[in-house]
Amino acid sequence: MRKHTNDRLQGTLDMLVLKALASQGRMHGYAVTLRIEQISASVLRLEEGSLYPALHRMTQSGWLRAEWGASENNRRARYYSITPSGRKQLAEEERHWAQLTEAVTRVLRFV
Amino acid sequence: MSWWNRLSNLVRREDLGRDLDEELQFHIDARIRDNLKAGMTEEAARLDARRRFGNRTLATEKTQEMNIIVIIQTVGQDLRYALRSLRKTPGFTALAVLAMALGIGANTAVFTVVNGVLLRPLPLVQPERLFLISYMPRVGPFAGWPTLSDHDYFEYQRRTHAFERVTTFYQAQVTLTGAGDAVRLRAAVVTPSFFPVLRVSPAMGRTFAAQEEERGSPGVAVLSEELWRSRFAADPNILGRSITVDGIKRSVIGVMPAGFAFPGDARLWLPLAVDGAGPNSAFWPAFGRLQPSVSQRQAQAELEALAPQLPWQHVMAAAGAPARNGWVAEILPLQDLLVGQIRKSLLIFMGAVAFVLLIACANVANLMLMKGSLRRQEMAVRTALGAPRRRLIRQLLTESAMLSLGGAIAGLLFAILGVRALLALAPAGIIPRVAEIRLDARVIGFALGLGAVTGILFGLLPAVQATGRELRTFLSQAGRAVTGRGEGLRSVLVISEIALTLVLLTGAGLLLKSFLRMRAVDPGFRAENVLTMTVDLPGSLYKTTAGIQAFHALTLDKLSNLPGVLAAGAVNFLPLSNGVMWGLFHLYDGRPTPGYMVDKPAVSSEYFRVMGIRLLSGRAFSGQDNSTAPRVAIISQSVARTFWPGGDALGQRLTLEDHPKSGNEDWLTIIGVVDDVRQWSLTEKAHPAIYQPYAQVRRPLFLTSMTFAIRTAAQPASLAAAMRCVLREVDRNQPPQSIATMTDLVATTIAEPQFQTRLIAIFSMLALLLAAIGVYGVLACAVAERTREIGIRMALGAEKSDITRMILRRCLLLATVGVALGVAGALAVTRVLAKFLFEVKPTDLPTFLVVAALLVAVALLSGLLPAQRATRVDPLIALRWE
Repeated sequence: MRKHTNDRLQGTLDMLVLKALASQGRMHGYAVTLRIEQISASVLRLEEGSLYPALHRMTQSGWLRAEWGASENNRRARYYSITPSGRKQLAEEERHWAQLTEAVTRVLRFV
Repeated sequence: MSWWNRLSNLVRREDLGRDLDEELQFHIDARIRDNLKAGMTEEAARLDARRRFGNRTLATEKTQEMNIIVIIQTVGQDLRYALRSLRKTPGFTALAVLAMALGIGANTAVFTVVNGVLLRPLPLVQPERLFLISYMPRVGPFAGWPTLSDHDYFEYQRRTHAFERVTTFYQAQVTLTGAGDAVRLRAAVVTPSFFPVLRVSPAMGRTFAAQEEERGSPGVAVLSEELWRSRFAADPNILGRSITVDGIKRSVIGVMPAGFAFPGDARLWLPLAVDGAGPNSAFWPAFGRLQPSVSQRQAQAELEALAPQLPWQHVMAAAGAPARNGWVAEILPLQDLLVGQIRKSLLIFMGAVAFVLLIACANVANLMLMKGSLRRQEMAVRTALGAPRRRLIRQLLTESAMLSLGGAIAGLLFAILGVRALLALAPAGIIPRVAEIRLDARVIGFALGLGAVTGILFGLLPAVQATGRELRTFLSQAGRAVTGRGEGLRSVLVISEIALTLVLLTGAGLLLKSFLRMRAVDPGFRAENVLTMTVDLPGSLYKTTAGIQAFHALTLDKLSNLPGVLAAGAVNFLPLSNGVMWGLFHLYDGRPTPGYMVDKPAVSSEYFRVMGIRLLSGRAFSGQDNSTAPRVAIISQSVARTFWPGGDALGQRLTLEDHPKSGNEDWLTIIGVVDDVRQWSLTEKAHPAIYQPYAQVRRPLFLTSMTFAIRTAAQPASLAAAMRCVLREVDRNQPPQSIATMTDLVATTIAEPQFQTRLIAIFSMLALLLAAIGVYGVLACAVAERTREIGIRMALGAEKSDITRMILRRCLLLATVGVALGVAGALAVTRVLAKFLFEVKPTDLPTFLVVAALLVAVALLSGLLPAQRATRVDPLIALRWE
């Protein structure tokens, strides 16, 4: 299940989710959405429903841990937190991202 | 997330769907709440939340898909990878699968037999509620057969409250005439309660009624469906038809349903009368169906309480036998009737094959370790690329699981052949319930289960080893000359293989020695050139002693006149065959003989000469010792020694009757002393015996079964046809019960130990082979890994012999440690064989020494090849290697 590191679009969403969870700790899906909106200053708007397949996939891959808990207004909500293996993956994604953006920047500069 | 969780996800899909729904709903609701807080109208808040979320159904489906795809992908990936890796090393794969197939095959074959014989329930209604009632002397000829005397049965059935109903029966061979050719059939003679206790009703007609239990009731019989079909062409009007069984006309009153053949393949059932009267007692199996609320233990307690009041006890006590001593009262599962004797043997076989499997596992683990050390590079690279260790271990375990499952499937095929070989090797009649021995779901489950367990057993250690921490240093050393933990582990595995093999070999050695001892026993007669023929005369046709004796006399006369026959004799209970008259006797001089039981064979005058039983003093019986002459007896040496230690037995008198009549009629004069004969079995000490001339025996009961024996000049078997002819001439309606040479009969009595010995020997040879391969593998691998070191040694001036010695020294070390551990293990384990060993202690020193020496020799032999290869190392090439 490591093939998708090549898939940039999916990789980007993964990276954003991992980053959000790495900095904020335990969050439910809605909070993750808000956090991504907030750090990208609402520039990156994603269809909120598409977050959930990613959250579940990353849980299966062992990057995230999921558990049920009570929300601020006392409703049952599913909370996610990042695992050590998730942090490793985040580092990997960040490295790739840096490489990619560097490459793109270089291309832009030369052209 | 563990595999288990993932797999259970697949099963709990519905639950997951509900959870997911709740999770998504929470998101939408939270967004609505925030929108409301921001001042939107209810309507706008909802709309905005839904728009932002996008297609909910799609999100749900995609998420669910994710959960499943990931599982399938990882499993599929592991499997594909394992397959590729196994295909890359076909030699390794074939060897590992073969080793596992042998191990699992042997286990499954033995388990198939155990399953059929011990585990499958009897094909009866609620067989677990059926129990045998046994009250027997702990020692003696009948020990180990759960039976009850007819006196005791009569009393017990009236007193017991533990059982709904009880029944007793015995198995017999009968001759059916008048329905095609005369044929010998297995029959069961049963009380009327037999069928109700088993809760089986006839397919046609009825079973025995209570009054048919009485003696002298008109003859009736119940047929098996099989017999009804094969002999009576499934005649629908069979009821009431008359058949002839052992010369008696009986009318058919019922036909049992198809498949019912209890006990042991019975074709015909006849009524049994038990009256508990008369001085003699018969021991028959008795069983009953427990009351619903009663447990086996309660029934046991009741039997123990009732036992002292049972009459046979009093009969024995009155005759001077020790009263309660050594009698065992037991309630046993009905199955024990069939399997009691074989159970322990089977369990020992199970143990032995388990050892073989462990050795096979150690071998494959070794192979995996070797392969693992070759794959360190690959593992190191994958670790460096960020593969978590758990994932690598799982990958390697998938590989070993595939190997062992392959082994299990091949093992099942081996097992099918193995069971056939096993049953062919087993002497006839030793393994009960043969029809139940077949491949069923439980056997297949057993084989696959073994595959799964062994896969983990031999896979885990190498997997942990191959992905170990020092992988990080491996790359930096560029794969140079890394030895160490792998080699140590491999040595440990080989040592355990040797130890396990030693235990098995010791068991085989002990059994073999015991078997040879058995074969060397002097039975007290000379079996060579003796042919025997047993004839059971039906009491219905031969009612009087005179009639029976006339039959015997005529047969004997004709037999002794056959060409090639040196002498012909007869005995009512041949040594080493089933049964004998056994009981007490009294001395004329009034000395007590408490509890002294003797065999009481009746023999013809030539019997001792035919059997080669030595006459030690006095004379043998002669034709003059007939029914009108003074009654005489010949005693065996041990009787003479016990009661006439001075050697003055001749001329003394004794009686075999419990209540001798006054006068001379029941008193026998001793005219000779003969050697002791092993009547019961080769392994059981000769019983004291008192022989009577058969012409002076009065009760027909003691004469109806007679074995004729002829001593022949040439091959005894060549006279079998002539013997059969003689019998036909005397009475064409009497088929022989059996015709067999005495040597064959002797061999039959040790057939079971022979079978055990052979089987354990085969298993231990298999173990030895696997262990030899193991030793070879470890040394070969060590030599390969140390090529460089050997090269350096040789460059520094080491001789070839030094190198050989170095390798062999290591080999010897492995063998010695393994043997030492094995001896300790064997000392602990061989005790279970004690019951099967004859004149050999489970700790027999010579056996241990021979086996240890053999094992060390085999280990050294398997080390020879790698040692030789080591000497062929060219130092120049070795140093440039790598």
